[in-house]
Amino acid sequence: MSPDQLPPMTMPAASPEIFQQLGTLTRQLHDTLNMLGVLPHLQSSVDNLPDARSRLTYIASKTEQAAERVLNLVDDAKADQSHIADETRKLAALIVADPVKAVASGAVMNFVQDVETTTQRVDQHLTDIMMAQDFHDLTGQVVAKVVKLANDLEGQLVKLLVQAAPPEQAQRVEAALTAALPASTGQPTLEGPVVDADGRTDVVSNQSEVDDLLASLGF
Amino acid sequence: MTIPADMKFLIVDDFSTMRRIVRGLLKEIGYTNAEEAEDGAVALNMLKNGRYDFVVSDINMPNMNGFELLKAIKADDALKHLPVLMVTAEAKKEDIVLAAQSGAAGYIVKPFTKATLEEKVQKIMQKLTATA
Repeated sequence: MSPDQLPPMTMPAASPEIFQQLGTLTRQLHDTLNMLGVLPHLQSSVDNLPDARSRLTYIASKTEQAAERVLNLVDDAKADQSHIADETRKLAALIVADPVKAVASGAVMNFVQDVETTTQRVDQHLTDIMMAQDFHDLTGQVVAKVVKLANDLEGQLVKLLVQAAPPEQAQRVEAALTAALPASTGQPTLEGPVVDADGRTDVVSNQSEVDDLLASLGF
Repeated sequence: MTIPADMKFLIVDDFSTMRRIVRGLLKEIGYTNAEEAEDGAVALNMLKNGRYDFVVSDINMPNMNGFELLKAIKADDALKHLPVLMVTAEAKKEDIVLAAQSGAAGYIVKPFTKATLEEKVQKIMQKLTATA
């Protein structure tokens, strides 16, 4: 007998009594979890997951931008350093060949001016490299938010686990897990860096908007 | 304008990287005398036990945040004259308004540039000189 000739498999139909009991149990579980405050909190933690995703994307983007910026600035600074080294070697050769001519032709003075301009540029590159490190502060604040969300989610799942455990194990499970969970940091509800300002009217997106807002209030 | 050479800054931020950046920028602007605190509580203690002329503070910090520090400074007769420049990632308009109403001398949102910091510090210095 080939497989397509087999009679179709059928599940035995649940009796109306069993179906009714399953429904009642499900309703009781749902109501109990709601009463214990587990489901609303769990729901709230789950609702925050898209926000966590956008925060992680923000971190990836910020760190990439900072790395690119620093590498480009290092390239520029190295080119400037190399230029000074080349010019120094050329001037040294001129001085060795004819010191009087090196000064009289203006080569020495040109070199001095060149060094001054180039070192100013290198100094600016170094300042920009320093400024690029601000990604640590900005992403660090966002990381803290994501860690808090993960902790909240873990806490709610632990509550759920404790409720589902057999009574004789529930206390031991709760004690062990409570000890393992970090205490609440009691952080204020400050928002930190805005990871997605599109469509928001309650935040500013640059310094000039801050200045305009303060000026409009007479500050 | 002439910069008082002994002008002393207190830089308050929970991220050491940002404290170093602000310190480095102030040095480039011409202010070399600066100390650092990692949160508002440490800063307030330093302010009460030392002489400072200018506070640059973050807002979102553990223990005591920048708003609490600002309010504590403005509530203290010995400290309330100090200009407090907020340098923060908090970009909500209500936070900016609250800072201004609480007595902040200026508000800079991160990320910022050297030019912005220089402009705000100089502006505050000019106001101080004018009212002195």
